[in-house]
Amino acid sequence: MNPILEYQHVWIRYRDNYGGIHSVKDWVTSLRNPFHTKVILEDISFKLMPGESLGILGRNGCGKSTLLRSIGGIIKPAKGKIICSASIAPILALGAGLEMELTGFENIRLLLSLYGVRPTAERIRSIQLFSELDDVTLNHTVKCYSSGMLARLAFSISFHHDCDIYIIDEVLAVGDLGFQAKCTERIRQLKDTGKSIIFVSHFPDEVQQICEQAILLEQGKIINQGKSSVICQQYKEIF
Amino acid sequence: MSPKLTAYSTQMQYLNQLYALSKRNVIVRYKHSVIGFLWGFLKPLIYLLIFIVIFSAQFTSVNNYVLYATSGILFWFFFSNITAQGIQSIIGSSGIIKSINIPALLFPLAEVISELFNLVLALIVYFIIMHWFGMHYTLHLLWLIPILFIFALFTYSVTLILAALNVYFRDVGILWNTIQPAIFYLTPIAYTESLIPDKFKFIIQANPIYYYIKLFRFPLYEAAAPEMMLLLKCSVLSTGLFMLSLLLFNRLKNQFITAI
Repeated sequence: MNPILEYQHVWIRYRDNYGGIHSVKDWVTSLRNPFHTKVILEDISFKLMPGESLGILGRNGCGKSTLLRSIGGIIKPAKGKIICSASIAPILALGAGLEMELTGFENIRLLLSLYGVRPTAERIRSIQLFSELDDVTLNHTVKCYSSGMLARLAFSISFHHDCDIYIIDEVLAVGDLGFQAKCTERIRQLKDTGKSIIFVSHFPDEVQQICEQAILLEQGKIINQGKSSVICQQYKEIF
Repeated sequence: MSPKLTAYSTQMQYLNQLYALSKRNVIVRYKHSVIGFLWGFLKPLIYLLIFIVIFSAQFTSVNNYVLYATSGILFWFFFSNITAQGIQSIIGSSGIIKSINIPALLFPLAEVISELFNLVLALIVYFIIMHWFGMHYTLHLLWLIPILFIFALFTYSVTLILAALNVYFRDVGILWNTIQPAIFYLTPIAYTESLIPDKFKFIIQANPIYYYIKLFRFPLYEAAAPEMMLLLKCSVLSTGLFMLSLLLFNRLKNQFITAI
């Protein structure tokens, strides 16, 4: 069986400008070259088989979100090859793509259209049901929402999009217990129907529950990969 | 449901994304304003009143001054609104760009579309009002459609270049907002060309917007067909600049995500 997602020696670099000029010295150096290159991910290789789920663990700033974005096709690799035969849902991160000045309903319509899905009345209805947000709330601008409500909305919209791979960037942590349970249940359903989940979290137990495979990142490099139980144990030990 | 049933073809998807973004722009712009889209019509009107006071000498010497000035102001605002908002459009959509794989050039394009929508509304209101200011309703008005198209293309190209550069150097946006009034006063919108002494005419002639405004005035102010040579030159300028801007934009877009 062929993997649905394969990374072959992928490198990702950021070109960064110095973030403003604060002194004459800065000014002179920035004239020569206003950018410096920073390596974010180094030589990443892994395979994901159909139906398998992958957890990504690592310290803050080790490149997890960048890895997710490259999976989502948002960042192109500088070197290496990404082979992907599956459709990938947009990245689900906190408040991702929600427009603060729009209402909940307007956001649902906007994001569905941006995802390439027709915002039909029944789809909007089922998103609302899943999010458990009432009409009054969804008619309010999103900027008044609590972070838990934002997560509910983002999560509900993203999970009503039919894809092979779902990418989740630690959002479960914000919702209340009831919603967390609901999301976990939804993830289980998706897995039962043969979908893959790529999951970033700082809770190894959660990762172990959802994913069969895991990757441990350290400063942009994979230091270990394999069965999630093993990797999660190793992750706990680095602290 | 299989993905095939719910997904559009790629081009259709871009069109839908463009539509959704444009709609968002229209909604967000007038979200908390009382008179909403009427601002698209009131803003030029207020400018017109200011002109009448400041350029009162022109007001009496130019034949049909209100119509003359209006036929310039409306399109200047079209240009200036798009560039001012478009320049921020990529930075401002960082949340979407960081989570959805969507072509970045749709964001400035959505500004053009939403502004076109506002312009058409404003034009309808003006078409009615200008009846009392001596506008002639002739078939030449249909020329507005191709002229508007090449002007929109020109505006889009300028916005693409500015927006792409602004991602890396925020100075571009600040600089643009600062020099915009200068470009405005260097374009014969409130005054006529004849007011400028011959030795300074080159300044105006170096300003591309001048030529487009001149084109708009043929059907609107003179009730005539545009000069074909001028129309051709402007089309070539728009197309050339558009290709150049695409080239630049495509070179810069891959690293957008690192700077927003």
